[in-house]
Amino acid sequence: MEVLDYDAIILGSGLGGLTTAIHASLKGQRKIRIAVVTKLHAMRSHSVSAEGGISGVLYPEGNEDTKELHAYDTVKGSDFLADQDAVEILANGAPEEIRFYDHIGVSWNRTDDGKIQQRPFGGMSIPRTAFAADKTGFFMMRALYDEVVGLSNVDIFHEHFATSVIMDGGKFAGLTAFELANRQMKLFRAKACVIATGGCSRVYGFTTTAHSSTGDGIALAYRAGLPLKDMEFVQFHPTALVPSGILITEAARGEGGYLRNNRGERFMEKYAKSKMELAPRDIVSRAIVTEIRDGKGYTHEETGMQYVHLDLTHLDAKLLDERLPMIKELSIKSINVDPHDEPLPVRPAAHFTMGGINVNTQGQIISGDGSGTAGGMWAVGECGCVSVHGANRLGSNSLSQCSVWGRIAGDALPGYISKSSTIADASLLSRAEAEEKRIDALLESRGSVNPYDLQARLQKTMDDLVYVYRKTDELADARKAITQIRSEYANVFIADKGSEFNSNLRDALEIGNLIDLAEVIVEGAIRRKESRGAHAMVEFPKRDDKNFLKHTIAVRKDGAVNLSYLPVSITKWQPVERVY
Amino acid sequence: MRRSWLSMIAVYAPMLGVPVLLYLYIIFNALHIAAASRAMLYLAMLGLALFSIVSFRDVFMERQKPPHFLDIRQKEGVVSHDHDIDNRTSKNVKIVEVRLNRFNPSTKMLEEHTYKVRVDRYYSVLDTIIDIKRKQDPTIAVRYSCRMGICGSCGMEVNGKPVLACETNVFKNMDDGGNISVGPMQGHPLLKDLVTDFDDFFSRHSSVLPHLYRKDEVEKYAAKQEYRQTREDLVKFLPFSYCIMCGLCLDACPVVNVNPVFIGPQALSQVQRYHSDSRDELGDRRLEMVDKLTHVWDCEFAGACSVACPKGVDPAYTIQLLKTQLVRKNLGSGK
Repeated sequence: MEVLDYDAIILGSGLGGLTTAIHASLKGQRKIRIAVVTKLHAMRSHSVSAEGGISGVLYPEGNEDTKELHAYDTVKGSDFLADQDAVEILANGAPEEIRFYDHIGVSWNRTDDGKIQQRPFGGMSIPRTAFAADKTGFFMMRALYDEVVGLSNVDIFHEHFATSVIMDGGKFAGLTAFELANRQMKLFRAKACVIATGGCSRVYGFTTTAHSSTGDGIALAYRAGLPLKDMEFVQFHPTALVPSGILITEAARGEGGYLRNNRGERFMEKYAKSKMELAPRDIVSRAIVTEIRDGKGYTHEETGMQYVHLDLTHLDAKLLDERLPMIKELSIKSINVDPHDEPLPVRPAAHFTMGGINVNTQGQIISGDGSGTAGGMWAVGECGCVSVHGANRLGSNSLSQCSVWGRIAGDALPGYISKSSTIADASLLSRAEAEEKRIDALLESRGSVNPYDLQARLQKTMDDLVYVYRKTDELADARKAITQIRSEYANVFIADKGSEFNSNLRDALEIGNLIDLAEVIVEGAIRRKESRGAHAMVEFPKRDDKNFLKHTIAVRKDGAVNLSYLPVSITKWQPVERVY
Repeated sequence: MRRSWLSMIAVYAPMLGVPVLLYLYIIFNALHIAAASRAMLYLAMLGLALFSIVSFRDVFMERQKPPHFLDIRQKEGVVSHDHDIDNRTSKNVKIVEVRLNRFNPSTKMLEEHTYKVRVDRYYSVLDTIIDIKRKQDPTIAVRYSCRMGICGSCGMEVNGKPVLACETNVFKNMDDGGNISVGPMQGHPLLKDLVTDFDDFFSRHSSVLPHLYRKDEVEKYAAKQEYRQTREDLVKFLPFSYCIMCGLCLDACPVVNVNPVFIGPQALSQVQRYHSDSRDELGDRRLEMVDKLTHVWDCEFAGACSVACPKGVDPAYTIQLLKTQLVRKNLGSGK
């Protein structure tokens, strides 16, 4: 087995991972050695699909915006489950991040006087979302990748799939990963590790996310005994294109798009009178599902999916081309509809994992027993739950979150590395070899179950039973189904035995990760008997601050999910009823 | 490292051919052969000399085509996979027969496998291949991620044309008999089935300093204030910044396919992207960097890259822009 030694490993190459690499490199005078380990080509991470923009108060004097207002909008949007100290870090740090992206070449849309333009977004009381047409994430990713390419102390390991995180005495020790091109297992040893592997929305079949959003880093941390937080909160984006689930950005509504039911009514009037289509996503998603249940939706001919219309036909053609070119391109290419001529068929789809690995406000992963931090481990971006999004994320806060905590973790790395001693533990290699044997055994096992069948069943279970509205008995059914899927997974068969680009093996491992995470999502949902943000229970339609104003913590013990709760950090804003 | 027979000829033919021709030349001179025959001999010598110059340049630059560059045109055989599928069809649901050209890494050859799939009118080629992989043949290697034309993973050849599979509709691309042929991009080294190796492609991109250069690096990264940029400034580089690094342009480029030392359209388009950004301060150094035979001057303006580019970057145009800027810089007024 090849053993590679680095000062720090960054697992994942999206916005969180690459910003961490850049800031760690700069802070450490380009002297610390960093490995970016990613299962994709680094520039292809799912962050490229972010469309609408990045939030941050850039010009407080211009539109009377304040960082405090940004923070309050975020807390209110989170249905008061966000940790308010973390939210303030987000609001304070975000503007600098937008300017940083400007300095590395992101093509921001500009105002007449050359400033960065900002657009309205759901739940934001003032337009504060900077954007580069509707390909914001893509432009940010390209700029970051191009920047990282110029850093000689950062090595990128494209297409290396991580299979385990190895801890030693409560501290990070190493990471095993195999190279997809030749299935060679490698052991990466380092003093520190930053997990930045994104969310796990692929536990759902109807999702806006990439096929690669399988929450691998969250699952690795969970299996290493580290705690997960608030996993039951899965954001459903209100406007995903039917039938593919491709994202139609919230900016489409920010620029003036309407939602209409099959009677042509702008139904959001009934649910959020003042904000209308620009209410937060949880509210819009619930509204769409309610309309559909009331028989006011359309039915898709080929798939039987029900949907409503996103109407952009009244928008100026020039505006559509300048600010939403990708939406136009996507809808023409995927369903042959020009949004300028016809409304788009949309329905809510799994979009964002509000939960994740439990981290403190500095992005450091909390230890399994909750007593302190796991040494040398950070989780940034969607996979780390620093609790700025609480029960519902506001659109465009995710890109700020990735960037702000990417910087925090990156800035902290060189200091941590210089202080911590080198570990040359002989047992590390033997543990890595045991991991290699586990993978080889999976590959050689004489099972009979096609992993893709399990994936399809898992996704159908989650789509049908753990969607926007949840019911106690349906959640129990989901739990039963997942337990069954898990037991069958032990008997999985990998048809591809080759060593070149064995995506069959990789997919099977990903599906294993998805099963673990789906279980945590469902367990958390069953225990939370209230409706808060993205978690809406039919039997408990009200928010219950008395019993459930707390974070769900899930730790794996003896192969089962073990739940406990932590208080929410409330500093400035007491919970009030949420009206838009 | 393996070499294709073309490159073997390229190396050995001049080595053997030149002495033989020289020997003939001496004999012909001694025997006073007619002028016409002598002219033909001179021509043959000239051709061989040119060929050796061109081929030696390629061989010694260590930038080779994939080892199986020519072998892959041969097919080892046709394998048809018969799985039970739902045979019901309608106007919007059809059975398509996919002819999948899979690269077999152990034989280094392409094999044609055929699969029947039931697809509706929304299916992309990528959806179809994933469907086959999940339900019929899990051993198929294919690279994909976002499925919305922005990550750049799924470049392949559909009916011989380089496209993004996720953006290519099956109904619109199958023939009247319901057939569609899908294969890997053959302009990149092949790895397995539809998957190609991108290391060389990425190193080409990295070699052209693809990032904003600022004289004051501390100020660049401190980012206290945004750089002002007008909408006109933005439009100057915006189209070139759409590059998703899918590699389709390199696959299509006829020059880079016969002359791998040419850096290719993708990297050059990114030179123009940063050169035309008002925030960049590297100035003419970017132009000087590409003022080489292996860079802009190897481009023969076939325009294949611009036809293939799925994001409208128009690399061929960027290369001509670089050329004209170089000409103006080197020959223009004031110099």
